[in-house]
Amino acid sequence: MRRVVITGAGVISSLGDTPAAMHALLCEGRSGVRPVELFDTALLGCPLGGEVREFDARKYLGRRNLRPLDRTSRLVASAAQLALDDSGCTAEMRAEQEVGLVLGTMFCSVHTISEFDRRALTAGPSYASPMDFSNTVINAAAGQTAIMHNLRGVNTTVSTGVTSGLQAIAYAADLIRCGRERALLAGGAEELCFESFYGFDRAGLLCRSNDHENHFPIPFDARRNGSALGEGAALLMLEDAESARERGARVLAEVSGTGCAYDCSRGRDEEKSVEAITRSMRLALFDAEMLPYQVECLSASANGSPRGDRHEAQAIAKLFGGHARMMPVTAIKSMLGETLGASGGLQAASMLETMSGGVLPGIPRLEEFETDFTLSLAGAASQTTDVSVALLNSVGLDGHCCSLIFTRREEFN
Amino acid sequence: MNTDEIRAAVKQSVANIANLDASDIGDNASYKDDLQLDSLTILEIAVDAEYKFQVKIPDDELSNILTVGDTVRIVQRHLAAPAIAAA
Amino acid sequence: MQSRIVITGIGVVTSIGTGREQFWENLLAGQSGVSVVESFDTSGYSVHRGTEVKNFNPAEFLVNLDASELGRASQFAIAASRLALTDAGLDAASLDPPCVGVSLGTTSGEPREVERFDDSYVNNELDKVGREFIGRYPCHLISAHVAEELGFAGVNMMIPTACAAGNYAIAHAFDVLRRNRADVMLAGGSDSFSRITYTGFARLGAVAPEICQPFDRNRKGMIPGEGAGVLVLEPLKRAVARGAHIYAEVAGYGLSCDAHHMTAAHPAGDGAARAMRQALDESGVRPEEVSYISAHGTGTPTNDRLETIAVKSLFKEQAYRIPMSSVKSMLGHTMGAASAIEAAVCALAVQDDRIPPTINLDAPDPECDLDYVPNHARAHTVNVAMNNAYAFGGNNASLVLRKYKM
Repeated sequence: MRRVVITGAGVISSLGDTPAAMHALLCEGRSGVRPVELFDTALLGCPLGGEVREFDARKYLGRRNLRPLDRTSRLVASAAQLALDDSGCTAEMRAEQEVGLVLGTMFCSVHTISEFDRRALTAGPSYASPMDFSNTVINAAAGQTAIMHNLRGVNTTVSTGVTSGLQAIAYAADLIRCGRERALLAGGAEELCFESFYGFDRAGLLCRSNDHENHFPIPFDARRNGSALGEGAALLMLEDAESARERGARVLAEVSGTGCAYDCSRGRDEEKSVEAITRSMRLALFDAEMLPYQVECLSASANGSPRGDRHEAQAIAKLFGGHARMMPVTAIKSMLGETLGASGGLQAASMLETMSGGVLPGIPRLEEFETDFTLSLAGAASQTTDVSVALLNSVGLDGHCCSLIFTRREEFN
Repeated sequence: MNTDEIRAAVKQSVANIANLDASDIGDNASYKDDLQLDSLTILEIAVDAEYKFQVKIPDDELSNILTVGDTVRIVQRHLAAPAIAAA
Repeated sequence: MQSRIVITGIGVVTSIGTGREQFWENLLAGQSGVSVVESFDTSGYSVHRGTEVKNFNPAEFLVNLDASELGRASQFAIAASRLALTDAGLDAASLDPPCVGVSLGTTSGEPREVERFDDSYVNNELDKVGREFIGRYPCHLISAHVAEELGFAGVNMMIPTACAAGNYAIAHAFDVLRRNRADVMLAGGSDSFSRITYTGFARLGAVAPEICQPFDRNRKGMIPGEGAGVLVLEPLKRAVARGAHIYAEVAGYGLSCDAHHMTAAHPAGDGAARAMRQALDESGVRPEEVSYISAHGTGTPTNDRLETIAVKSLFKEQAYRIPMSSVKSMLGHTMGAASAIEAAVCALAVQDDRIPPTINLDAPDPECDLDYVPNHARAHTVNVAMNNAYAFGGNNASLVLRKYKM
């Protein structure tokens, strides 16, 4: 079986547009969750979101015609450009070799879909925009990005809710491992928009705070009362290790294991939920041919949700046993918000920085520990740590779980 | 609205949709041959004109819109239609 | 040696029948599922027909979940899944939950949920939107609902690659099984009739006013539809061990992207031909060994012409010898479900050596000069069937099924 390495990363986030810039702010404990400016929040109970402010895709994509691309597509096409550049995958390379794209997204653009429908409802169906219609499909951003960057290989959109991003990386890694593809961009994206924000707000999933001064969300904290939504895009360049070596590409890490599981109680039954999260992590370790004690740090999916964070904490404690008291666990959704489809890719980009720079972000404001969380949660401050094996976790609202193992191996460098 | 105003508005719409400079678009520019636009973009331009000018262009006429001049003419005719009926 | 994967169960929900038997009988009889759209008011449109599933009763298929809490695409997917399991002789309760997965495709997810949101929005009644919007709308809920209803805790995957999604989902299930990540996979696609989709295709001028007539000189477009198709996939060893009936073996697949245009296919059929080529290569099948092609065949002037070019570019002279029909002539375009239903058609063709027709094909188009099996089903030995699907975004997917032989 072939091995899969990461040779580049591109991010667009509320805390910067390079993995290094974003990671530096995460390590400083800076939050991208602020009052939303993108749309009117008068109807919303929670006005805070991790918005990518002043996002202008022209900065990354130049003078190309961006009218056909909606916000989600622009986020993805921009992150793709950055990831391709970061890995040294040139336009010439893409003309010679089929490079593909696997994109995880929960909604793609429910804003485009809704706006298309609303114009047809109010003005009449004959006034519906043909161009917007082409963006109502959930694979629109992946298709637009493929056109913009000449990505002719596999083009798959994966939609498994919050876990979409990690699931997309897992899907892509498996395609490379079995020899179907040699080079794939993989990760996820999500835009902040009124439609999804309003839906989450009405569903009671967003944090509530009387003083809107950045006090929430606080993953794993006893005071947590919901997540904040965020947006962004993060793509990794995954390559067959052999091809990467041949072209002399710099290797950031290896994707050495992937696992996923489903909780058919959809989080309602604590035992089943914890079992599924545990199984997802165990399968990833099994796939990587590793044992739990070898994992040196863990990027959790926790976002401030009362139930979800508890189940994840218990699953980590259950799988790692005594080792859970030594292995630092971080949760960057404390600063980026719950970026849904983008979250897995952003966790991955940040973890690559930890593995190369040796600094792990903390969980700002985490002070009131739950007594039964027997974990070594990263404190409010960042810490230096040498990480060569990391586990990334993603746990959805509807029972989906996905885990990845990243390994730094000297042999690739 | 006179012809010049309609033409300016159509050109602005084409410029926005196709990422062009309105001043670079000729009065009779062909969407396909001169501006290298694809059929989806040309349809978007036609529907955008319908929406902006609040006229209803029948589907079979939409396929006759091949140039900036065609767009202006058809919009003008449909804008005039209700007035003629009223007279 | 990679393990071989076979199809042991088929479940479909379509405008011409729910369940394999009724569906296949009507399909071979050339029955059309086209009717006047009832799910929303089309009086403001210039077209009024679709292939809706009428008289669908979700309660017949739901044991654990409440139909009123599920979107229509979820209801279809659960129905097709239960039908497929029963057809495969599998009792959901007897399976090991973590070893059974679900991999489904869709174009729009649960579009009616966002349409309801939009109605509230334009009527200034947003306060009517409750927790059900996020609880029902996102497309991952379709595979989630199937797994929740049936108690399956393995891989749970949703692949929304528009009108080729079913093939993508089946391809993924095939890989999951080959890598031993599951014992049994439910794989397919589901889509419900959608105002948004109908409005869009109508605006593009792509909807036919009366009938769908793929490859005919006078074809006027597609007919939007709805439905679901789900297959039971399992490793050959397991199927043989439990004495299961085997419809066909999944031999391989190919995926590619045109990277050319969002809504228009590549003029030379580049991506489509690459996907077909990969699928043949993986299957170890030579072009001349293909005995049936299930066409994407939407009935739009452009699709059918370009698809013909793509098939000829790969199969050369052999293209004229291989029967290629479009069941969309009967079922309309069921979006993300289409290629899953068509995969079921291929499996049945492989089993029965019968090929369903392309109906409404009366006037040959000089640019579409292949054998489209016009108007009447045909008896024909089908050793290898190829299922082609193309989508917005330039996504192409080809799947190859073959007769199971020891």
